[in-house]
Amino acid sequence: MTQRRVLDRRTVLRGALAGGAALAGGGLLSACGGRQDAVRIATDDRWRQFAGTTLNFISENTAPTAAIAANLRPFTELTGINVNIITLELTALVQKVALDLAGGESQYHVIYADPYQVLAPYSKGLVDLRELATDSSLPGLDGGFGDFITTQLDAAGRFGDGEAVYTLPYDCPTMIWQYRADLFAKHHDRMSADLGFDPTPSAERTWEEYFRIAQWFNDNTDDVAYGTGHQAKQHDSLMCDFSNVLWAHGGDYFDNGDAIGRYGTVDPGDCRLDSDAAIEAAEFYRRLLSVADPSSRTWDWNGLAPALTSGRIAMCPNWHEYAADNESARPGDFGYAPLPRGPARSANIYGGTGIAINGNTLPNERMAAWLFVNWATSPETQLANLKSSAGGGTPTRESVYQLPEVRAAEQRPSAMPNILTAPAVTTAWEDDNIGLRPKIPMWNECDTAIYTQLSRMLAGDVSPAGAMRESTARFNRIIDRGWAA
Amino acid sequence: MSLTVEAPPAERTGTSPSRRRRFGFHARMMAPGILLLAVLSLIPLFTVIAMSLSRVRLLGGVSFGFVGGENWARFFTDIDLAVQWLRTLVFFVLTVGLEMLLGVGLALCLWKIMRGRNTLLSLLLLPMFVAPVIVGLLGRFLTDSTFGLYSWLLGLVGYEGDLLGGTYSAFISVVAMDVWQWTPLIALIALAGLTSVPQPLREAAAIDGASGWQALRSVILPSISSVLLVALLIRSMDAIRYFDIIAVTTNGGPADATKVVPIRLYETAFRFFDLGYAAVIGLVMLAVTIAIARAFVGVLERKGLTR
Repeated sequence: MTQRRVLDRRTVLRGALAGGAALAGGGLLSACGGRQDAVRIATDDRWRQFAGTTLNFISENTAPTAAIAANLRPFTELTGINVNIITLELTALVQKVALDLAGGESQYHVIYADPYQVLAPYSKGLVDLRELATDSSLPGLDGGFGDFITTQLDAAGRFGDGEAVYTLPYDCPTMIWQYRADLFAKHHDRMSADLGFDPTPSAERTWEEYFRIAQWFNDNTDDVAYGTGHQAKQHDSLMCDFSNVLWAHGGDYFDNGDAIGRYGTVDPGDCRLDSDAAIEAAEFYRRLLSVADPSSRTWDWNGLAPALTSGRIAMCPNWHEYAADNESARPGDFGYAPLPRGPARSANIYGGTGIAINGNTLPNERMAAWLFVNWATSPETQLANLKSSAGGGTPTRESVYQLPEVRAAEQRPSAMPNILTAPAVTTAWEDDNIGLRPKIPMWNECDTAIYTQLSRMLAGDVSPAGAMRESTARFNRIIDRGWAA
Repeated sequence: MSLTVEAPPAERTGTSPSRRRRFGFHARMMAPGILLLAVLSLIPLFTVIAMSLSRVRLLGGVSFGFVGGENWARFFTDIDLAVQWLRTLVFFVLTVGLEMLLGVGLALCLWKIMRGRNTLLSLLLLPMFVAPVIVGLLGRFLTDSTFGLYSWLLGLVGYEGDLLGGTYSAFISVVAMDVWQWTPLIALIALAGLTSVPQPLREAAAIDGASGWQALRSVILPSISSVLLVALLIRSMDAIRYFDIIAVTTNGGPADATKVVPIRLYETAFRFFDLGYAAVIGLVMLAVTIAIARAFVGVLERKGLTR
């Protein structure tokens, strides 16, 4: 007699449970299993061999990325590659990138690599782009590495002693002197007579003269509430603003500061913020802020820019890419010049960034990412960004500045408002004038130490000498702890 | 919580009575949930403890390099952190104290209002429904010296400074933003307590000739003290972790005047990626939070309110 198999309720439940567990387990295993590389198509068109691939590009929410995002179609048509652009505030971006590198995956194939917060600490997690640039199966760099502005390629693209290039310069915000040209023209003769010098902003003006111009606006006109404004919030912006004055007075963060700023190092040596020149710079900075708009202590660069465009202040040092906003708010009313000189030089802090490829990418993903990096920094794309209504920065390639239409746009009326700053930033980028903060992996912590002490100094909690000495002690402690990537 | 239940007769299941007593039916039913909770809580806890004894590297996959008590030694010699703990304590006392005072005051006012109470209560509760980060952004815009409404109003009465620019004014501003947001919660809880105060008790106090203040002090407040204690517990646990509004408005400045421990923790972990030291700060914060919670629960237990 054969026993009839009966499916009772318990058996069905057990079966369902086992099936569910198998499915879940399978899913987990496949999720944890090997990643699949992008497909490479056999084609003679070197730009289209990765058609169908999707890349993720993580970037700070900057004007150049806004322009790239608004103008992605030419890239997709050229390559068949789709690009997802994730834009974040810089701090959030650094967190995501660090965790992505730690995870060993490459959720973000292309990375906006800030030289101080991503490149210096995580250069080992990025691809040396020279390998891709010389790969004959891939499109090479139009104009080669030499077409990038040299100081920018070094500052944004390299780290350490080697020749490796980890990023291609992508944007290049640089602090320059932004001022209300209409007010300077209106009061020129009176100011000249009162102050005893020509107040027109230029690289020939000194910080002391800047101070006196600011005071003159405070005392002699109701056109603006204050002569000058600054980005002196307890924030990275305060370090940037102060660094211009520090370098101009001959101070620096470390011995051999130029090389540390340009190439970077893991061991910068002892801090030199306690030097006489640095203390003198801090004393001047405190004096300058005493005549500046009191709200300066609550502004970062985003707070300062509207203060200028709204007519609250007559001048300020700010990133040159705010020119587009200035021209949009009060067309023709603004002028741009390199920052004033101090006893040592004129120093204009550079805040540019490059784009890099995640070292965890698989071979074909890496090559597809190269196509995007190559295209996004190409002269054609940089020219398109200049014209973009979505924003856009200024080019990082020499050749773009030489184009006749770009040269013509340096004069008003200009269809490319950011390029109105070209004469000022071109001077600012010269070796003698560029300001490069230390490119060290522990910069974030050092940055916090200096801007906190400066903030304390501006609040009257500590003297300029005290702030500089305390900063020095903190820098040295941080450096002594070393860095583990 | 007890997992012990009465053991079923051994002969029905064939398992030993002692084992049955330890793992009864309810225990077995709850075991998966408890195990899941343990996994979710204990693994991160032990990981953070391990991190606190290590130097954490991120590149090439997370790895821990054992450094012994180095991070803990640094913790006990970190003067900045000690000042930040003190500031957190002042912030905690000010926010929770003001919220309790104002919340109970508002609840008493609402309690006395017969008509339109629900409308007023709805209006009063609105700040509570706004995300803290939005409260911070609102505060920043309202106090902005270029276009802020509060700055303009203060300018009319002669205050020319910038609220978020001065050390004291910035601290008071972030306290005020937290108080604005969370006072309604205390008011709501206190009002719920007040509506449950027995009418005969209040009538008896009135007949005995108690004044309004005497009735409040001797009858009403004691009647709602347990409810207020719960409100205090809830707000205390939150206040010690206060982060959003400060991060959005002052980021700890000016001159570190608003840098409380959670801001320092965030900075250490996610700006400096000094995860070992951040683990130490986090563990101490956890211990402090547990101590505060235990203190309140202890008071509730003494009042017989946990049963």
